[in-house]
Amino acid sequence: MKTKLVLNFNPEASNLPITHNLIAKYGLLVNILRAEIDEVGGKMVMEVSGKAESIKNGISYLKEAGVGVRPIKEGVRRDDEACTHCGVCISICPTKALTLDGKTHKVVFTEEKCVACGVCIDACPPRAMEILI
Amino acid sequence: MKNNKGASGPKPSGKSFADISTRALNGDAVVMTAMEFKEFVKTNGVRKAAKEVDIVTTGTFGAMCSSGAYFNFGHSDPPIKMQRAWLDGIPAYAGLAAVDVYLGATELDDSNNMMHGGAHVIEDLVRGRAVRLKATARATDCYPLKEIDTFVSLKTINQAVLMNVRNCYQNYAAASNTSGRTLYTYMGKLLPDLGTATYSSSGELSPLLNDPLYRTIGIGSRIFLGGGEGFVVWEGTQFNTRVERTPNGVPKRPAGSLAVLGDLKQMTPEFVKGLTFTRYGASLGLGIGVPIPILDEDMARACAVTDKDISTAIFDYAQQTRARPVLAEVTYAQLGSGEVDIRGRRVQTSPLSSIYKARKIAELLKRSIKKGDFVMTEPVQRLPLDRSLKPLDTRSEKEAMK
Repeated sequence: MKTKLVLNFNPEASNLPITHNLIAKYGLLVNILRAEIDEVGGKMVMEVSGKAESIKNGISYLKEAGVGVRPIKEGVRRDDEACTHCGVCISICPTKALTLDGKTHKVVFTEEKCVACGVCIDACPPRAMEILI
Repeated sequence: MKNNKGASGPKPSGKSFADISTRALNGDAVVMTAMEFKEFVKTNGVRKAAKEVDIVTTGTFGAMCSSGAYFNFGHSDPPIKMQRAWLDGIPAYAGLAAVDVYLGATELDDSNNMMHGGAHVIEDLVRGRAVRLKATARATDCYPLKEIDTFVSLKTINQAVLMNVRNCYQNYAAASNTSGRTLYTYMGKLLPDLGTATYSSSGELSPLLNDPLYRTIGIGSRIFLGGGEGFVVWEGTQFNTRVERTPNGVPKRPAGSLAVLGDLKQMTPEFVKGLTFTRYGASLGLGIGVPIPILDEDMARACAVTDKDISTAIFDYAQQTRARPVLAEVTYAQLGSGEVDIRGRRVQTSPLSSIYKARKIAELLKRSIKKGDFVMTEPVQRLPLDRSLKPLDTRSEKEAMK
């Protein structure tokens, strides 16, 4: 099982080795997508994979440690009406979440592959891409 | 050119423009999109295609910066002769008489807000929205009003005409970046160290690449423009015929372009779109389609061109000069594959031109011609075959007159 989480840190929680604990104590595979944390706290977006039970326990641990946890379904959204299907985003997307369909000639957005890095946001001329986290 | 009136005549065995127009008007013309025609030629050859096909529809949709629209708002009471005018905060040129203004697509407000430029105001109007018109003036005896602040829409405006001085470029440069930082250009976001390459042409679907020597597209050609109908009104600015061409006449660099005009009130937001190129500015995403009559085998051969036969150069946009160095010569087939070779590196490519919309335009145009809604016109004058591109240098008055 795989899920994306937005973590909110207060100053105390930002000093805890939470990534290490998620990996070592709960056996989760952690992929940090975005992190903006300093001495006054901050935000981290991560994708965690593992058994459903382990993810549940990992989330409980984070909450007990004072970290705000919010699972997210999507990190980046495309406005399908605004997209002109030009394809300028396809070469800059590092995970190939944006590709051109050779048959329809439309840009396909595969959300599961998106790591919400945000590189497509300001590259999109009709401003069809929006980052939600 | 000896005879620059009308379309170039067909070879003796060919069909005339008039024959094809009449057949189209009677609903008897064989019309194919550029995509279908290329497939047809592959299977049946040029000779059969020239004989059996009458019209090929082409299309392109991309950022066309040298665009804009003029408006006539009607007269206020008391009347005003606008000297400065703004549409939703974007300055429009008011150096015409009274209540006519021209709004450029790339115009920005004083804060340089690139998210909302002239192109976005044009799109808003096409969407049927009202926009705020402000104007100031030096009062005269005949135009006493000094300022006005009101709202206008395409319902209140008399004439709203898209008038673009350079659109539909025949081929275009491709771009990459050898520097160590991301460059924000009109060719999009170029990642550092040859991280990406972008290109901007619909290639084999593009109107002027299917009529490389301007035999049938000329002044007076009726075209699909932004979802409505428009006309080619002149050669586009920077029209340059002195570029290297393939034996079939296809230019290997940006060459011809079109000045076009059409009624904004007919257009649709699907084909008129305000664009933002980060840290460059605003531009207009615009769809254009042109029908090409298959006069003879030469014309059929020209319209059979494929992305394999059309090449361009990838320029290094890290060099801030008008003579940017060429990094690689590539075909549109290579660019379209998603990856090109630059200096031994595999570089990911991205188009800036929407092939999806270009194909849709070619389809829509085909449908309108077949239904008799779109009537093809023979140009009244051909585009030039002898234009070169002059640079802008800092000169003395004497040097400028040489």
